[in-house]
Amino acid sequence: MAPISPLNASEISEKARRDLLLLLEGVRGKKNLVLEKTLAGPLNLLVKFSTLQEYGVDKPFFLENDNVDFSQRNIIFLVRGEKAKTVISVAKQIKRIRRDSQIEHEFSIFWVPRRTTVSDQLLEEAGVLGEASVSEWPLFFVPLADDVLSLELDDAVSDLYLRKDPTSIYLSAKALMLQQQRYGLFPRIIGKGDNAKRLAELLVKMRSEVTAGDSSSNGPSFLGLAPSSTIDSLLIVDREVDFPTVLLTQLTYEGLIDEVFDISANQTEVDSSIVGGAAPQPGQTGSASTSMKRKIMIEPKEELYSTLRDSNFAIVGNLLNKAARRLQSSTGRDQLATKTTAELRDFVSKLPSYQQESASLKLHTSLAEEIIKFTRSDIFMRSLEVQQNVMSGADPTTQHETITELISRNVPLPTVIRLLCLESTTNAGMRQKDLETFKRAVIQAYGPQHLLTLSSLEKMGLLQSRGGTTLGGPAAKPGTVTNYTPLRRSIKIWDDEVNESEPNDISYVFSGYAPLSVRLIQSIIQKQTLANLIKPSTHPGASAQANPLAQGLRIFDDATKYVKGATFDEIQAGEEKAIKARSMLNGSHNDANKTIVVFFLGGITRAEIAALRFISGKLKEVGGEGRGSRIVICSTGIVKGEGLVGSAIEKAKFG
Amino acid sequence: MSKPTANWVKVGDKFYRKQQLYTAVFDTDLELENYTVVGAPYSGAVAIHRDESVIQSYRGAQAAKSTIDIYSCAGKLIRSINWDTGKGSIKALGWSEDEKLVVATEDGTVRVYADLGVDFEPFSLGHGSEDVGVQSCKFYGSGFVALLGNNQLVSVANYHEPRPKLLAIPPSEEVVSWGIIPPAYSLSRSVEVILAIGKTLYTVDATDADDRNFDAGPFRHISVSPRGEFLAFYTDDGKVWVVSGDMTEKLSEYNSGVKTVPKDMQWCGSNAVALAWEDEVHLIGPKSAATKFYYDSFLHLLPDMDGLRILTNDLCEYLQKVPDETVDVFRLGSDKPAAHLLEASTLLDQKSPKADDLIQLIRPSLAEAVDTCVKAAGHEYNIHWQKALLKAASFGKSVLDLYNSDDFVDMCETLRVLNAARFYEIGLPLSYDQFKRLTPEKLVERLTNRNEYLLALRISGYLHLPTDKIHVHWAQQKVRISTDDEESICRLIVKKLAGKAGVSFEEIARAAYDEGRVRLATELLNYEPRAGKQVPLLLDMKEDTIALDKAIESGDTDLIFHVLLHLRKKLPLASFFRVINSRPVATALVESSAWDQDRDLLKDLYYQDDRRLDGSNLLLSEALSQSSIGPSLDKLKLASKYLQDAKEHTFQRTQLDDTAKLLRHQDTFEKELSAPFIGLSVNETIFNLIREGHNKRAQKVSSEFKVPEKTYTWLRLRALVSARHWTELEGIASSTKKSPIGWEPFFNLVLEAGNTRVASVFIPKCTSLTPAERVEMWTKCGLLVKAGEEAFKAKDRALLQDVRDKSSGSAAVEIERLLGMLGSGRR
Repeated sequence: MAPISPLNASEISEKARRDLLLLLEGVRGKKNLVLEKTLAGPLNLLVKFSTLQEYGVDKPFFLENDNVDFSQRNIIFLVRGEKAKTVISVAKQIKRIRRDSQIEHEFSIFWVPRRTTVSDQLLEEAGVLGEASVSEWPLFFVPLADDVLSLELDDAVSDLYLRKDPTSIYLSAKALMLQQQRYGLFPRIIGKGDNAKRLAELLVKMRSEVTAGDSSSNGPSFLGLAPSSTIDSLLIVDREVDFPTVLLTQLTYEGLIDEVFDISANQTEVDSSIVGGAAPQPGQTGSASTSMKRKIMIEPKEELYSTLRDSNFAIVGNLLNKAARRLQSSTGRDQLATKTTAELRDFVSKLPSYQQESASLKLHTSLAEEIIKFTRSDIFMRSLEVQQNVMSGADPTTQHETITELISRNVPLPTVIRLLCLESTTNAGMRQKDLETFKRAVIQAYGPQHLLTLSSLEKMGLLQSRGGTTLGGPAAKPGTVTNYTPLRRSIKIWDDEVNESEPNDISYVFSGYAPLSVRLIQSIIQKQTLANLIKPSTHPGASAQANPLAQGLRIFDDATKYVKGATFDEIQAGEEKAIKARSMLNGSHNDANKTIVVFFLGGITRAEIAALRFISGKLKEVGGEGRGSRIVICSTGIVKGEGLVGSAIEKAKFG
Repeated sequence: MSKPTANWVKVGDKFYRKQQLYTAVFDTDLELENYTVVGAPYSGAVAIHRDESVIQSYRGAQAAKSTIDIYSCAGKLIRSINWDTGKGSIKALGWSEDEKLVVATEDGTVRVYADLGVDFEPFSLGHGSEDVGVQSCKFYGSGFVALLGNNQLVSVANYHEPRPKLLAIPPSEEVVSWGIIPPAYSLSRSVEVILAIGKTLYTVDATDADDRNFDAGPFRHISVSPRGEFLAFYTDDGKVWVVSGDMTEKLSEYNSGVKTVPKDMQWCGSNAVALAWEDEVHLIGPKSAATKFYYDSFLHLLPDMDGLRILTNDLCEYLQKVPDETVDVFRLGSDKPAAHLLEASTLLDQKSPKADDLIQLIRPSLAEAVDTCVKAAGHEYNIHWQKALLKAASFGKSVLDLYNSDDFVDMCETLRVLNAARFYEIGLPLSYDQFKRLTPEKLVERLTNRNEYLLALRISGYLHLPTDKIHVHWAQQKVRISTDDEESICRLIVKKLAGKAGVSFEEIARAAYDEGRVRLATELLNYEPRAGKQVPLLLDMKEDTIALDKAIESGDTDLIFHVLLHLRKKLPLASFFRVINSRPVATALVESSAWDQDRDLLKDLYYQDDRRLDGSNLLLSEALSQSSIGPSLDKLKLASKYLQDAKEHTFQRTQLDDTAKLLRHQDTFEKELSAPFIGLSVNETIFNLIREGHNKRAQKVSSEFKVPEKTYTWLRLRALVSARHWTELEGIASSTKKSPIGWEPFFNLVLEAGNTRVASVFIPKCTSLTPAERVEMWTKCGLLVKAGEEAFKAKDRALLQDVRDKSSGSAAVEIERLLGMLGSGRR
């Protein structure tokens, strides 16, 4: 067998798990755990609550609630240390406990993913550094599925695009660097976007620093700095390059669950009237679920769900029916009579799995019904219509009436903003006059506080007037905006002949629109298919491999000309000796077994994940373009339109 | 060659050996009896300090100066630390596992001297130690416990980030003696202290102080075996008790028969206890068997993990239980295969044919014999016998068909390293077991700290270990003591270290900076490839802007932030802004953190940079956070004023003014109508007004804010529906001809609200729709006859049939009639 595949999800979770348990073990006796809300999801994915209890955790608290009690001597804070705000809040709570509690407490702080000098500095200023024993839990990637690794940085979008705070780039680089040290350098780093370029530069820089770093602390890693023989390349896409994909309503099953119910760390909260109020599963960290809501684990390993999640919602009903029929035929009572004892035994041994399957079928049927209700609503249809028209290249002004109507009908603000931003980002901004009309409409409809929202959207580059910012700057320079008109043709981001039930192209995920981000990736790793799609071979007999468009990086180069942000292509070569040593150690590999790592800086949507999985499936097929058979999707987090615009929306109100 | 068994002594049925390591250790003038002597674990350095409580003869000013001297085991002075008495009197000296010297003074200050250097890191024990004083300390591998004057115990678990913790409080009577069980070997996994108070013993840990109800005390000495499995007590009547670690079982008792209480009692490995008087040692093995050794001069016991170093002025000896393998090979009359193998090998040398006979004799267990010889070689200090044993092993190996030689090769390598380290000039007499526990990396570190760079490099090369630390240490030393001019030092260092992996120039530069050679430090720092590493030193060197640039270059926001915090404290605001101004990343970080914590800073920043929109937004955000309308309006006014000269922001300004206007209106409405309005948008205000029937006011707001007619119609419709004002809706239907948004929404919303009757009123008004759609609308209202009529009017037979299929009762009859008419009409 081939050596362990790089960026292995189970290996990463296992390590994170062990690291945490080791830290917990270091604190003797029972302890109360105070954690940041955003860490609850990842924690729940990695460690069961019962395991935490075995390691002495008595009660969990949320940092944000500031309500940890004095019931245990040991109090552990599990928080991210990058933001001054959280550090100060930890310091305050320690002070509060020290002041109010009768007994002397032992404080421990586990910083995630690293201990920062700033946190030390702030704790020292607050006078609590000496009180707490400080360690770090190096949690970078959290595997959400076998092929999806997320850093779960919820603030990444607002940090990167609104506040221009590059922390998440640095953390991404660190996370990728750890993988490089484990599996070898990415032989090639290629991608698009200014922040993505910064990430690539950081990776190259860190590599030279690791070479120079204290080798003793990193252990025998001298081999780790030769190009990997199991990884094909690293593709980095900056979210900024392709905002429209996020703004659109996702049409895959998983995407729609996310849109309707919101998924975080593979968990979604659904009203118990929809899915039945079964007892909550044991081992959940979030104990504070109200009686009305029920938490559901979206299990990527579950068989039924894995067939559903990436399908266009239009066919989910059919799939569910099929599954129901199959289940019925194998468990139907009338069939039992005809079975021999051997068959019966076989049947009985499968019963638990049938039970599980039928429970899962029931769950997904109710979820799907609820989603259908949502998709049948007038507002959904209207906004989808606008989206489809804008993406297919219709004149955006024809959509203005519908948007105005939606505003007048007071549909939720994010929905409106998504449509407005979609128009702005696909058309290099809005006409000044239209923009002001809409701004006025939004402010009048949703409140004056959204002056700030609109201002933030402009900073993020989501809602702008054509020709640059309203500051009256010069006309947009090339490379600062994306021009969709040529792209519709050159990489076919709109597909009129979309087939949702038996997809032949990634355009199925949005019922027509093929996400630009994924097209760019395709133009690197699946050149032949894409070339044939854009410009079908004139001679049906000619070899499909001979499309001249597929040579080199022609499509990629052609396309990136019209897309905003920097383009880069970096080859990481190592010392020849080391390469030889590595290939000796690992044996030779053909390209087909290599892993392609795709990194979405600033978040990825579930629809894009579905599209990438679709490509991965095609690559694996016989006759696929054997550059690699496995795509590992990494990102700073999972995003959707509501989250993207939500980071700009002002929440305060007058009064 | 003397027999290897020459220094063996039989205690009970076990053999012990007294291995002479070095002779002529200390100056004969040194009165060892007046000194505190402590040895670092794993045969490390020995620190001696003159016991100030003992009066001694005056030897001139030089000798009167108090020092802590660090010697190697062979008596080579490594370092001398001047101790001026102003620092307080030393109450305890001890070593950590990684050869850090720990000095605790009476006032509770602890100084940690790392790397055998003269620089130290101080910390205070706290917990009142400065008032009650420190009595004594007991050390273990990574920490220590201090006994304070009031019998309280303070534990320090590590030296990296020392956090003195108070243990449970024992009774306050005088402590006769005490000992500790290190956390690694205690049941609770945290340090445990055993105190002899009065006639009994107390065990103390973090939470409890238990009386163990002994009555044989007072115990003059307490000693814990290296792994905490046994405890030894010395009673007042000259007896040594050995009990199990949990104090449940008494294992043996030995009567020394001596009236004087011994000076010291220590474990020798885990099998024997040594009692030391001034020049006499009793070694008590299992089952109370004992033997006595006599010395010419005063002696000290330095316990280690597998034995005991005995130090006198002219001797350094290692007392340990003879390892089993060595016993197997060398014991007189041993019939173990290994002994035969060694014999055979000697015979072979003498070319005697008996060699083969012997080999044949032990043939079945030859592999085991080889293993034993290899191990025995490891335990041997004498090079002659090491060679003999290895030769025997090699001979045995050659006879075997299959043998894995890895152990043999490893042992040869290890012995080579060990012999080099044991050489008297180095003075690290590691036993084989100690070396295995210490690890080669740590040995190299110890050598480096002793400035034995060549040997360290050689060993590293020999064992394939990284060498960067050695190089850095060398360069630091060079920087500190070299008298050459700075340029040539730099050149020399760079030349030597160029191309060496992992060398941290930052550490060297820091050493130079600490030495006051700033220029050299700057120059060296330029060679550091890791931008992040340079930052702290640059800050110390007051090169703030370079530090900021390097931090930005590293991409690590934590570092950038760190520098920014530093700059913010140091610089006046204006120059702080000037520094960050040209660096967008820094500005962004300052902005995002100030937004949460320091809005005033942000205001100044925006003002200074003339960022009007941001400044105005900040004021707007402040206006939002005000709890009453007055201050909100003030802030809004300011926000608007902020933008007054900027033409490009007129839109924004109008909106701000409108907001103020809206707030004032809402305030009036609240007073007049006593319903909440503030916080609502224009649309919501209109909506609420209409719903409550204040149409005039709604109209007024609408015209004042130029709400488009369509929007107004929508608002009115929604408000009326939500208030269930059906009559008014019907009124609209009858009085108005045209609706700006068409009549469909009216139908839809009313129907959604469940009023089919009113909804149906709007159907005939939807003239722009197809008949089919209207039929659908009628059907939705349940008015099938009407639907039928609509279809009939459109003369659509199929549609009519559809309606019929849905209908029943009288409606069905009616539709059937219409169908009939349509049918006849056609034909």
